Amino acid sequence: MKPFSTNLPSEAERHKLLKSPITGEGLILLFEAGLIWLTTNQEYVDALNVFPVPDGDTGTNMVLTMQAAFDEADSHRTKHAGDMAKAFAHGALMGARGNSGVILSQIWRGFSRALDGYATVDPALLTKAIASARDTAYRGVVRPVEGTILTVIKDMSIAAEGAIKTQSTLSEMLVILVEAADISVKNTPELLPQLKDAGVVDSGGMGLFYIFEGMLRMLQGLPLDTATNNNVVSLAQFDLTHALEQVEEGQDYEVVIDFEPHKHFILEKYYEGLNNLGVSIQVGEGDGIYRMHIHTELEKRFEPIEYTETQGIIKKIYMENLQDQMNNRKEAELKFNTVNPGEIAVVAVSPGPGLSRIFASLGVAAVVEGGQTMNPSVKDLVAAFENLPTDKVIILPNNKNIILAAQNASKVSVKKVGIIPTRNTPQGFASMFRLMPDGDFDDVVESMTEAISEVHTAELTTATRTAEIEGVKVKKGEVIVLYDGKLILSKSSIEEAFDALYNHIDMDEFERVTLFYGEGVNQSSANIMADKTRAEYEDLEVEVHEGGQPHYQYIVAFE
Amino acid sequence: MTSQDNPLGKIYILPKAIKTVVKDAVLQSYGVIGLAPGNLRQSFVKMFDYDGDYGIVVESDERGLQLTVNLIVEYGLRIKSVTDSVAESVKYHVEKTMGVPVTRVNVHVRGMRISDVD
Repeated sequence: MKPFSTNLPSEAERHKLLKSPITGEGLILLFEAGLIWLTTNQEYVDALNVFPVPDGDTGTNMVLTMQAAFDEADSHRTKHAGDMAKAFAHGALMGARGNSGVILSQIWRGFSRALDGYATVDPALLTKAIASARDTAYRGVVRPVEGTILTVIKDMSIAAEGAIKTQSTLSEMLVILVEAADISVKNTPELLPQLKDAGVVDSGGMGLFYIFEGMLRMLQGLPLDTATNNNVVSLAQFDLTHALEQVEEGQDYEVVIDFEPHKHFILEKYYEGLNNLGVSIQVGEGDGIYRMHIHTELEKRFEPIEYTETQGIIKKIYMENLQDQMNNRKEAELKFNTVNPGEIAVVAVSPGPGLSRIFASLGVAAVVEGGQTMNPSVKDLVAAFENLPTDKVIILPNNKNIILAAQNASKVSVKKVGIIPTRNTPQGFASMFRLMPDGDFDDVVESMTEAISEVHTAELTTATRTAEIEGVKVKKGEVIVLYDGKLILSKSSIEEAFDALYNHIDMDEFERVTLFYGEGVNQSSANIMADKTRAEYEDLEVEVHEGGQPHYQYIVAFE
Repeated sequence: MTSQDNPLGKIYILPKAIKTVVKDAVLQSYGVIGLAPGNLRQSFVKMFDYDGDYGIVVESDERGLQLTVNLIVEYGLRIKSVTDSVAESVKYHVEKTMGVPVTRVNVHVRGMRISDVD
């Protein structure tokens, strides 16, 4: 995104440009002010979102739409107001993002239509333009939902039409428009129950308000770069994403309390009291309601509530288990290698979240979940790489049952697909070390395939039935060990199984052993196993990683 | 037909019911002027069925619903933004009210309406 021009004209020049009736040059200055002010308040607008659909980030979408509109207008600067507005509307149309962006583009379309042929804008024309904006915006939908940006532009137009006889300057007219927008936005929860339930106002309407308030602030010479929002800070506005990263011991719970303070309430004293209870303390205020945010220990999680009760009347309490949230975040946070066009992209099948993370860190472009009991379909595999911006793809099946699906995926796709026949995750890791994204495709495939033989893999799992396979007697419930895919032994406990495994293979051959512990195995018991291994084989390098794979307590790589 | 189990028996949701929800979601989406018949048969249905649900096709498999909507869109809008919104809105409303996963929403723009010339 191009930053808006920061070199706004000087005060005297601005005064000249914005003298009513304004020309195209004044108009673009107003548009720019609307964009800057909206950008300044973008996070607040984003935070107002209620629906998960269809407009994820209203503020961002509106800013991007306004930016596109401004860029277009900026490259067609003219003194003619009508032409200026037309360029602006065209840019908004081309750059419309999301639902609110589309509606906004219609508002500017209607606006510019009213200005068509006029070289300057006076209050009467502005009123006409807002009415035209309203009409065009409403025309775009069969069943308008009230309590949205549509309602706000409608209320603005009604106010402007009512005031046109008494208001003679553009600045006065903008005051009327901004006031109307403000009242209308505040009223949106009364019209749309979902907003009321969530305790917010409509985000799109709020965005429109900021655009016009920005124009007014430009006319009044007020600053546009610092947000002045003093309302109750919305939950999403507290910088929670940042706070979450710092969750440590003693920050198990997040508690947020809305309360109306008693008359003798002193904010500084309240802060002091909170300091003994937890960390990450924030207090927001607005309309006589305070909102407090704190991170506390598990045992102390009710204390902020009790304490706040002595300070005022509690309205609402939110509580969240941060530790749990952190765990969820960890999984969601996989960062994959971005693929440049023409480079080789690798798609790996991974049975567990920990293993996926390792694959991601090794530079795969996508991970498909799947493994022993949950083989991904051909479709899943194709979907993983079909949208990557390259036509050279390598699949690591990491399971012998998935190799076939991978081969079928290569037949279905129009891309050039190579398959490294990896039968387990350590083989996948080993071959990843040989990946050269910009190398010759066939050479890279060959090299990665060779790497498979460099690693040996043991898998420890619990036998699901009693049997005798390849000369090994297995009782149901025992721990069995597969070495390079072959069943080699069965023991009654994990410890015994590890001992027997180490005796079975020639440990002197290897330099490094890596333990990937699965779902249901905790890190400390994995560390104990690793320590035992270190004690027994001093020359070996032993590493422990969370694998998170189901069914297999351990996957062990020998290199 | 979509079916789900509950402790006392089976719940069946007929395509007609799903179409009602889809229609409502579509018509509330910004930029959509109306539904359009998807094929010849639906064109006939439209002639006799005033408040009909032509323009919507509901299919299902064990993974969920696949929905197709045929639309008329207002001229002068960025079509991709409109269709993205429609798809998301349909998925959201159907999943919320029916509790059945929607695996696909196909949006076909069958025509555009020019309500006024720029």
